[in-house]
Amino acid sequence: MDPARRLGPAQIDVVAQLGVSTVLLGGIYALVSVGLTLIFGIMRVVNFAHGEFLMLGMYVAFWAYTLLALDPYVVLFVSIPLFFGIGVLTYVLVMRGVIHASHNVQIFTTVGLSTALQNAALVAWTGDYRTVRPWHSAVVIRALGMAFNLSQVVAFAIAVALTLVLFAFMKWTHTGRVMRATAQDHDAATLMGIDTDKVYRLTFAIGIACVGAAGVLVSPLYAAYPTAGLQFVLLAYVVVVLGGLGDMLGAMLGSLIVAAVEVVGSYFFGVAWKEVFYFVLFIAVLVLRPAGLFGQRGAETLGV
Amino acid sequence: MPALAPGRWVAVALFGIVALVPAGVRDAYLLDSVILILLWGALSAAWNVAGGYAGQVSLGHAAFFGIGAYSAALMTARFQQSPWLGLMLGVALSIVAGGVIGYLSNRLRGPYFALSTIAFSQVLLIVASRWRGFTAGSEGIPVPFRPGFWTLGLGHVAWVYLALGVAVLYYGVAIWLETSRVGYQLAGVREDEDAAEALGIASRRLKVYAVTLSAAMTSVVGTFWAQYVGFVDPFYVFSIDLSVRFALNTIIGGIGTGLGPFLGSLLITSLETYLRATFSGMKTGFAGIYLVIYGTALILVVRFVPEGLTGLAARLRVRSSRAHA
Repeated sequence: MDPARRLGPAQIDVVAQLGVSTVLLGGIYALVSVGLTLIFGIMRVVNFAHGEFLMLGMYVAFWAYTLLALDPYVVLFVSIPLFFGIGVLTYVLVMRGVIHASHNVQIFTTVGLSTALQNAALVAWTGDYRTVRPWHSAVVIRALGMAFNLSQVVAFAIAVALTLVLFAFMKWTHTGRVMRATAQDHDAATLMGIDTDKVYRLTFAIGIACVGAAGVLVSPLYAAYPTAGLQFVLLAYVVVVLGGLGDMLGAMLGSLIVAAVEVVGSYFFGVAWKEVFYFVLFIAVLVLRPAGLFGQRGAETLGV
Repeated sequence: MPALAPGRWVAVALFGIVALVPAGVRDAYLLDSVILILLWGALSAAWNVAGGYAGQVSLGHAAFFGIGAYSAALMTARFQQSPWLGLMLGVALSIVAGGVIGYLSNRLRGPYFALSTIAFSQVLLIVASRWRGFTAGSEGIPVPFRPGFWTLGLGHVAWVYLALGVAVLYYGVAIWLETSRVGYQLAGVREDEDAAEALGIASRRLKVYAVTLSAAMTSVVGTFWAQYVGFVDPFYVFSIDLSVRFALNTIIGGIGTGLGPFLGSLLITSLETYLRATFSGMKTGFAGIYLVIYGTALILVVRFVPEGLTGLAARLRVRSSRAHA
């Protein structure tokens, strides 16, 4: 390529498009990951079934759109309390009994939950790819030589808004402070009169509400099928480990990094190989700095 | 001669019955079930070396299974060589990969280690399913059937004995891990690594050895499985479901015991065969019902009977001996 073209306006457009694509994708990844990191940070449990709740969110949006002709953004108002309830139920039925058990018991409890939910979806709704195509998924916004899908822009805006609300809730409300106190020292929190069981129930419910909302938001962009959650949750693990497990701000930065790796990797090497980049990044982070880029060193060897 | 523990007698009886099966049974369907139970049992026993005896819970053991399956399938389909050479190549590759994963296990604990193993198996899945020129990509590889031992083109009866040989060998490895000095050291590392270190046990090296051995054992069965089934599909051999399956059999049977993985395989594989036969005709996708049952069973077992079937049997025995006393 001759040097004159390399710095031409077309190339600057490409950089701008890649940059904005990264931010849009990163916002959605942040909402998927923030629930995972919240549950991990406070309950010390890696929820291996997190992706399945995203998948359920996608199906809720699909059925609401197909049967009731409801737009996913309308469904969002219903899905947040719905998934909050599902989170409470899952906590009471499944998680409460293993909250103080060993890591291995916790890992296999959530893995079992993931297998059961995935295949329940397969039995109920078959393995077909289900797509939601509301009017806004066909609208393309063009600005400054860049092009974006309206659904993607709205999903980004709502995802960022929800993430910021959660962030503010954790930082400035009394309940948020109680939750952080429990995360820091479970025993001390109990001695201060905090009902930790209630805190865990609330944490799990909020985490599931976030990922359920994320599922509804991405439904116009990605097809729903029983294992649809897997790809998202795998990248959520990458995000959460990058940001330091349990660190919400880290998860937001991690989302941007993963989105950047994906967008730039797809641009240069093709979409087919995009996952390889973030898995390699993941393994590299685990080997070189397992506490995450911004996390405290040593967390990973404590086994939490 | 010291008396054998009850678990050993059960193992001797089980393997003995399997050895006699081909003499009386000519039904291909039943022999197929026996072979699969033995192969799944051996795979779970291999997982148990890392997950049970060394306490390194992997959710990516399908990686080693896939390495073994692909090595042999590519060796036969692409290079017209013996699958036994593929088996050796698979073992060599798995030793290298297992060493890397074992090294990771020294830096990462609990969920971190499990996550890294998932990532590893996913990378192999992407490479195998996208590298069309070499692995035939997502279409998978049909393994050619050439009769003979050297080409592993065997009949059902021969497969029963081959699978039985592997199963007995892997059971032997478990017994060795329960009775040898190395096994006791490994148990020490699993229960309390700092205390083991203080007693002069090279815990890091032991964990790497255990994970590497487990990887190589998994790879061997991966090769046999591919040659027996005759087809290698990247989305199956590298799947997380498969990795979970190894763990599931072991946990239901009894984690960290010699007999557990085989009991778990016997139960789960029979249940799967039965449910598949019962539900497959009803509706497409309905075969997935057995996985809903597995998932639920896994949640219930780790919660209420974490020591699995073997532990449950031991508990009942203690209770009945108390009742008699």
